[in-house]
Amino acid sequence: MSAPDPTPGHQAGSGRYRDRMIGLFLLAAALFNPPLLGLFGVKGTILGVPALYGWVFGIWVAVIALAAIAGRAR
Amino acid sequence: MEAGLDWAAVLIAALLYLSALFAIAHWADRREAAGRSVIASPTVFALSLGVYCTTWTFYGSVGRAATLGIGFLPVYLGPTLLMLLAPLLLRKILRIAKAQRITSIADFLASRYGHSPLLGGLVALTATLGVTPYIALQLKAVAVSFDALTGGGLGTSTGPFLDQGFLIAAVMALFAIVFGARQIDAAEHHPGMVAAIALESLVKLVAFLAVGIFVVWGLHGGLDSLFAAASTRPDLARLMGSEAALGDPASGGGPWGAWVATTILSAAAMLCLPRQFQVMVIESTDERHLDRAIWLFPLYLLLINLFVLPVTLSGLLTFGGGKDPDLFMVALPLNGGAGWLAMLAFLGGLSAAAGMIVVETVALSTMLCNDLVMPILLRTRSRALARSADLAPLLLAVRRIAIVTILLFGYGYFRLAGSAYALVSIGLISFAAVAQFAPALIGGLYWRGATRRGAIGGVAAGALVWAYTLLLPSFARSGWLPSSFITEGPWGIAALRPYALFGLEGWDSLAHSLFWTALANIGAYVGLSLFDRQSAAERVQAAAFVDVFHSAPDGAMPTPAAQSDWRSAASVGDLTRVVARFLGPHRAGRAFNGADPDEPAGPERLRLAERLLAGAIGGASARVALASSVSAGAVEAAELLRMLDETNDVIAHSRELERKTAELERATDALRAANLRLTELDRLKDDFLSTVTHELRTPLTSIRALSEILHDDPELDSEQRQEFLAVIIKESERLTRLINQVLDMAKIEAGALDWRIETIDAGQALTEAVAATEALFRERGIALSVDMPERLPPVRGDVDRVIQVAVNLLSNAAKFTPPGGRTRLTARLEDGVLRVAVIDSGPGVPVKDRDLVFDRFRQSGNTLTGKPAGTGLGLAIAKRIVEHLGGRIGVADAPAGPAAESGTGTSFWFTLPLAVSPSGQGAGEPPVVDRKID
Repeated sequence: MSAPDPTPGHQAGSGRYRDRMIGLFLLAAALFNPPLLGLFGVKGTILGVPALYGWVFGIWVAVIALAAIAGRAR
Repeated sequence: MEAGLDWAAVLIAALLYLSALFAIAHWADRREAAGRSVIASPTVFALSLGVYCTTWTFYGSVGRAATLGIGFLPVYLGPTLLMLLAPLLLRKILRIAKAQRITSIADFLASRYGHSPLLGGLVALTATLGVTPYIALQLKAVAVSFDALTGGGLGTSTGPFLDQGFLIAAVMALFAIVFGARQIDAAEHHPGMVAAIALESLVKLVAFLAVGIFVVWGLHGGLDSLFAAASTRPDLARLMGSEAALGDPASGGGPWGAWVATTILSAAAMLCLPRQFQVMVIESTDERHLDRAIWLFPLYLLLINLFVLPVTLSGLLTFGGGKDPDLFMVALPLNGGAGWLAMLAFLGGLSAAAGMIVVETVALSTMLCNDLVMPILLRTRSRALARSADLAPLLLAVRRIAIVTILLFGYGYFRLAGSAYALVSIGLISFAAVAQFAPALIGGLYWRGATRRGAIGGVAAGALVWAYTLLLPSFARSGWLPSSFITEGPWGIAALRPYALFGLEGWDSLAHSLFWTALANIGAYVGLSLFDRQSAAERVQAAAFVDVFHSAPDGAMPTPAAQSDWRSAASVGDLTRVVARFLGPHRAGRAFNGADPDEPAGPERLRLAERLLAGAIGGASARVALASSVSAGAVEAAELLRMLDETNDVIAHSRELERKTAELERATDALRAANLRLTELDRLKDDFLSTVTHELRTPLTSIRALSEILHDDPELDSEQRQEFLAVIIKESERLTRLINQVLDMAKIEAGALDWRIETIDAGQALTEAVAATEALFRERGIALSVDMPERLPPVRGDVDRVIQVAVNLLSNAAKFTPPGGRTRLTARLEDGVLRVAVIDSGPGVPVKDRDLVFDRFRQSGNTLTGKPAGTGLGLAIAKRIVEHLGGRIGVADAPAGPAAESGTGTSFWFTLPLAVSPSGQGAGEPPVVDRKID
């Protein structure tokens, strides 16, 4: 059944926004966990920061930015 | 070694800070009362979610990083992931909580599963058992950090009830009582508390960042030099790789277990921890605030974790193994000579502890009061309660006693457990405890068939397995149980070893517990639900939760038909009394304003009373209270509850019906429109057929009549005979023409006409048309003139069809122009198309008929009296041909001039596209055979 969503201000593009966030969740869940995460447990540094540390925080920033953009682009 | 600060100064600073929090909370409450809420802001909402970060974050992350490297991070990645699902999950929970006036997570689950007091009590109990030790950990963190800051000035030697832990517990109890348990309606917001929490979140973030910046740039001259220094030490270099966090990939066997399990448990805890549910759901003023929290809260988590690893590495470099890593946050600035920064760090930790303690105790006390104590009191002491006119003081007292009890319990645990493993590891153990609510919570949002017994079974089974695989072993590791409990299993049964249940070995203890609890919990939940039957109350609530976005607003509820059943039940006076008892007479008077106390209450008022009570004492207790309200003898309590369920059921069903009806109506409308269109088409077809047959019959009739005369009367003189034969021939020709046109029309409409569209010379085609009709004009005595340039540009079209159109317009003009009139054919370039017009001096076409003349069988003039001069199809065919060729056709008044001497005159015109369009395309294209129309 497809009754219209009665939330004011949430009708337009709400479904797409929700789907995008679910997609972002799946992407982030894959990136934040092994085995992908383990691939970055290499020696060496990025800009003086250990690779793994830089990777996790870099992905984290990207995920937050995408979430903010998705909310705005709705 | 550092000297430490003066303990009195630290104590005074802490007390001043806490007083400031009181002031902020008081100010926020005042603002709320004045209608200028400070918590109705998405930023404040996102900051208040920061209550997630306790001292376990503030001090404990550094401690965890000292052994796990970045292994402390899943605790924050889990909530980040959960927030990404907010548009799906949290929005629905928020909407339900608002609609049902939910007061806590226990209330939420109890309400979902048919207002089950048993489930509510079970959840309240599990949460209290799982979380109270966590409060103890906060008290310990404050006490220990105080000692670290002052060098142990006050210490624990001043007696068991005068240490910092007790002091902070007492202040927090006061705060929780003042700002968290002042009003009866637990479903309403606590603006003072939320404002203070948001401020505390800000303070702990600023403190952490300040210490981090000081350590990295003040003590080590930048990130790269700190990491470079750390990487020279093999024990520290290990913390920067993946091995410490994820285990050694080479060793195999669940090295990822801890990381993944912590991520899952943290995400579940973000949803199910009583304090998180409190700030995120109960205190939420507007669900649109989620939109900002979705990214702002993860950003908060990121920032507060940014410097954890640098602080850890710096601490280990500075102190070696000589200091507890949990205290680096205070010890490092102190050691670096920045006493004020150490004080700020201490206040940050104090904020983290205070926020957690206050919100957790308020949430737990609401739960304990509404879902454990009140249902028991209402069942066992209903008579005594019924005698009391105002139960609000009792309710508040229960909550306040609960607050004090929880904090005393927490303090006692802190004194008792001290630095035992059971306390140190409690963070993730409590996460695992509250995670047991997640299956019933999330399942209840989407699975309509989930039942009360399933939920109770799931939570109970999960909690038992949790206690066996995490809690009891933590007691054993603290020395309260023999250590053989872990190594050999109880009574030496190896299969029951709590960290290797049924021989599942080699797993991280958390992942091991997560697996078994999830198996037991989800297994019981799904299994029992599948083989269970829902009661009416459960069905109603299941529908209300799962379909929260579909149900109509409360005001638009239909009235159940079974009104007469309620005559004998509760009266308005009964309801007023019971609502007044819990919410005070003022509130009750407002709710049932103006109704006659003796009037039967009716289902709507009963539902209103249920909602009001639910906001104060939870859904499960509200029903029991209502049942006890009815004056003795009027109606059995069980009967009343049955009626309430039935009313709710009826309402749920009628909502469902309403929705279905609306859908049906929409479908019916669409069908009706389609039917109308079909009928119209059918009518048009009938019209067409009858007109065609009529048109065919007219010439046939005259042919037949004349040929009969000729046949029957051989005596007819030859002149007469000749005349009749001429008429017959003419009528036959008309018949042939008509049939040809009908066939043409049918072909065009069926798209079966062969088109041969190519570049043609329009001048030639028009000349041919004029030649074909010249005789007609001459016969009728009409002057035909042609007015076109010597050379017309080539156009795209089908020669035969263009001639057909021109002939049709010309013969029309010949028919309608009175003898002696004039007709003029013009052709000229206009706006990039060729415009051809046939201008006559006939009677003209009335403006109202101009749209109609191109319809089939429409003839201008009086069709009743005058014999139609044509078939009525010519113009319709012309219109279709011209439109297919990409031109337009129309009719207008004849331009004033020599052509319009007699009558008003008419100009029929059509256009044809040029072969060479302005952009140069289409020139010299080969002929195209096109079978399609439109």
